[in-house]
Amino acid sequence: MGKTTKLLIYLVLLLTLFGLIMLGSASPAQAEKMKHAWYYFVLHQVVFISLAVAVGAGCACVDYRLWGRFSITLTLLAIGLLGLLLVLHGLWKLHIHTPLAHAINGSWRWLFLGPVNFQPSELAKFAVVCWLAWWMTRVRRRAADARLGFAMPLLGLGLVVVLILLEPDFGTTFLVAFVGMTLMFLGGSRFKFLALAGMGGLVAFALLIMHNPVRMRRILAFLWPEEYAQKEAYQLLQALYALVLGGPTGVGFGESIQKQSYLPEAHTDFIFAIIGEEWGLVATLAVALAFVVFFILGMRISFRAPDQFGRLLAFGITLMITLQAAINIAVVTGCMPTKGLALPFISYGGSSILFTYVMIGVLINIGRQTETDLRPGAFRVIRDQHHDL
Amino acid sequence: MTERTTTWRMILVLIAVLGVWTGLCGRLVYLHLFPSQKLVEDSQGGHILKRELPVARGRIFDTHGHLLALDLPMKNVIADPTLTTNDQQKYDVALKLAQTLNLDPALILPRLETPRSRYKVIQKFVSVEITTNLAAQKLPGVFFEDASARRYPHGTFACQVLGFANLEGVGSAGVEQRFHDLLKGRPGLRIGEQDGKHREIYDRRGTEIEPQDGADVHLTLDMHVQHLVERALDEAMRVHQAKRAWCLVERVRTGEILAMAARPNFDPNDYRNADTNAIKNLAISHVYEPGSTFKLATVAAALDAGTVTADQIFDCESGKWLFRGRLLHDYHPAGRLTVADIIKKSSNIGAAKIALTLGEERLDQYLRAFGFGRRLGLDLPGEEGGILYPHRQWTALSISRIPMGHEVAVTALQLLNALCCVANDGHLMRPYVVARIEDAKGLVLRRGAPVELGQPIREDTARLMRKLLIRATEPGGTSTKACVAGYTVGGKTGTAVKFVNGQYDSRYNVASFCGFLPAEKPEIGLMVVVDEPQPLHTGGLVAAPIFSQIASNAVRCLQIPASATLLAGAAETTGGPL
Repeated sequence: MGKTTKLLIYLVLLLTLFGLIMLGSASPAQAEKMKHAWYYFVLHQVVFISLAVAVGAGCACVDYRLWGRFSITLTLLAIGLLGLLLVLHGLWKLHIHTPLAHAINGSWRWLFLGPVNFQPSELAKFAVVCWLAWWMTRVRRRAADARLGFAMPLLGLGLVVVLILLEPDFGTTFLVAFVGMTLMFLGGSRFKFLALAGMGGLVAFALLIMHNPVRMRRILAFLWPEEYAQKEAYQLLQALYALVLGGPTGVGFGESIQKQSYLPEAHTDFIFAIIGEEWGLVATLAVALAFVVFFILGMRISFRAPDQFGRLLAFGITLMITLQAAINIAVVTGCMPTKGLALPFISYGGSSILFTYVMIGVLINIGRQTETDLRPGAFRVIRDQHHDL
Repeated sequence: MTERTTTWRMILVLIAVLGVWTGLCGRLVYLHLFPSQKLVEDSQGGHILKRELPVARGRIFDTHGHLLALDLPMKNVIADPTLTTNDQQKYDVALKLAQTLNLDPALILPRLETPRSRYKVIQKFVSVEITTNLAAQKLPGVFFEDASARRYPHGTFACQVLGFANLEGVGSAGVEQRFHDLLKGRPGLRIGEQDGKHREIYDRRGTEIEPQDGADVHLTLDMHVQHLVERALDEAMRVHQAKRAWCLVERVRTGEILAMAARPNFDPNDYRNADTNAIKNLAISHVYEPGSTFKLATVAAALDAGTVTADQIFDCESGKWLFRGRLLHDYHPAGRLTVADIIKKSSNIGAAKIALTLGEERLDQYLRAFGFGRRLGLDLPGEEGGILYPHRQWTALSISRIPMGHEVAVTALQLLNALCCVANDGHLMRPYVVARIEDAKGLVLRRGAPVELGQPIREDTARLMRKLLIRATEPGGTSTKACVAGYTVGGKTGTAVKFVNGQYDSRYNVASFCGFLPAEKPEIGLMVVVDEPQPLHTGGLVAAPIFSQIASNAVRCLQIPASATLLAGAAETTGGPL
């Protein structure tokens, strides 16, 4: 195993461990509020992490090209599950209630499959990356073609994105759309088309938000937090207060006051604020830096991948995780309106951690296949499996 | 699509992403190290918990330590309508609340249907037993709040003296008002931190200042005597169908008020439904023309000044005397009367003629020395000073009217205090109702002590005056019905015609009696006033029996020994030369 891959593994495990420790500080107040034992979230997270690490390790041993072969299946599965959520939502509106799904905070994001709660959008994130990496590799030399390099992948991406949007989950929608279009861009789609599509998407997004009063207020609250301090901007302001209270070195581990019913979702989407409060700038910069290092390591793997599919796949995975972290931190620091995206490795959440580790596993596999016999200055031959369609 | 293009595009994205992260790091540095002043203030403001620790208002006791007013720990029942979701649930909650609190469910239900509010008062001041019962039912959205309620266990008893403290705990009448600052105590303060739901975080408790309970007020009122007075007034109101009645009992030598009551009265536990007239302490704040009872001051002044002697004879003109163009009448027409008999028969003409010997200026001086026309300084709010014009403003007729208690207005307290001055060998005492005020640790903050305001008449004049007043209760006097078995009583009746609609109307009277006993060594003075009694209307027939009824029991409560002279079977006090 090469240095890059090893470093990546250590980094990921370190972030996960740090996240678990912070969860131990941030979640008891929340657990108590939900009438669970204080260790409820920590215990669940330990189980999730164990499972995720096992699955991730498995993925690291599977040749990443497999995901290309099964990318259509995966994407169809994701579309199917997202569609199922939509159908269940529709049934519920017709007063046909099923135990399979119900709204949480107004969104239909979870499927309840017996003891396991599952977020199809997490699967969709991975599936979209696999499928686009595979598709853009296949159409490689004809990527500039409007139909093959632009319309077809955009159609597939659009289908998934719209389904996620209908949950509704604006954060994941934005993330998947952005990463997907970046993959198309890297795969060779014409920039002109992508720019037009991106603009069109943004306009549609803006119209949708304006149509939805809840989202609209969130945007307004983001722009003028003081005016909405009691409701929409409450969470945002409390997160900012936590960071301000933290100062350079924090108030001390476990000493956060913002987690005491001030900051909602202190153990999930807003755990970064508690990190900032308890450990200060030192820790928040360290976490940010860790994600930057993760990004650079992922980029290294991507640059050195044995083939175009591996390159795009590694790039997509790295970008997906890093961008999600960036958006989460941007939300916590008040640079973006509230989204509902978890901080990878650190936030509490089963589906999120499982698929993050699946992606990490794949990334490691790509890394392993490049670095085994790579000497400095050596030439690499990029194998091209799919010559032409 | 070439390899090179892909690489360049990757580098482009890489730079963009690194740029985003650089921006985020900058934002983090800004928030952690250089936040705006407003953010710093706001971030610290919400956590601080400053909570007033409740304090019990001081209690009020009578002279024997019987409890007259206290604070009871109660609960307010509050509802959070946002926690009852559907109509059926709201209905159930309203029904159960109504059953337990004995309210109308139709009044509760609308309060639960205000989804914008999270705080609706269902019932204030509910006893702890009831709320414990309610809490056991675990009704959704119903919670309780500590409250302290002022309670007066004896209801209307001595209500005008005690006054009341309102729902906010502010004393608003009587002792409660006058000594509010001492009674209210000082609430404690707890400074700590709270969580987002305004609950205290216990391991972050900071400074705490202990609450200081309010001081206890011990009154001079004697519960037993007060009870006699209350009962007698109730009966008087019923028997005489009076408009109002009031009474007070004072200890002669000290000025302590032993009882004070008025009708109409009110229940301080339910002060909000009380009539404002009922809250008024008539004995100290109602100013009226006293009528004949005032003659005792006139005669005492003339005797003291030496312008008359007790056996000097005046012509009482057979009940009709034209003075300065106006007729003056006597209720019981008489011919020639001694000064002693003028008191005994209560002759208006006699009193006027006695006053004329004194002259306007000296009469004015004496009356003011007795405490008329000014406040005595009783430690209760609402004391009035009465009306006594300076003699320079008197009309030509004033000198004939003031001696018989017209053209002058007094409170019952002033008149009784003047009588007690006579009974107390001429020493005028300041009346008071508060014996002492003790804080929670037993430290006496204020002690009521006898204070002599002055000596308007000499001791021998006072002794002579007492003899004259005793004769009024003897056969042939106006106050025969004021007698108390076993005790000699001195006193004076008064029947003042009221000034109604611009003229004196003899259908409306104020009947009063003031007296003291035992007469040879006076202990207590007592004043009874009945406003507009029907059909009897004279002081002798209306007020004197009430005096007798109260006094005959009061002497036993107060363990005042019977008059030695009467036990000896001889009424020598009355028989001697005057």
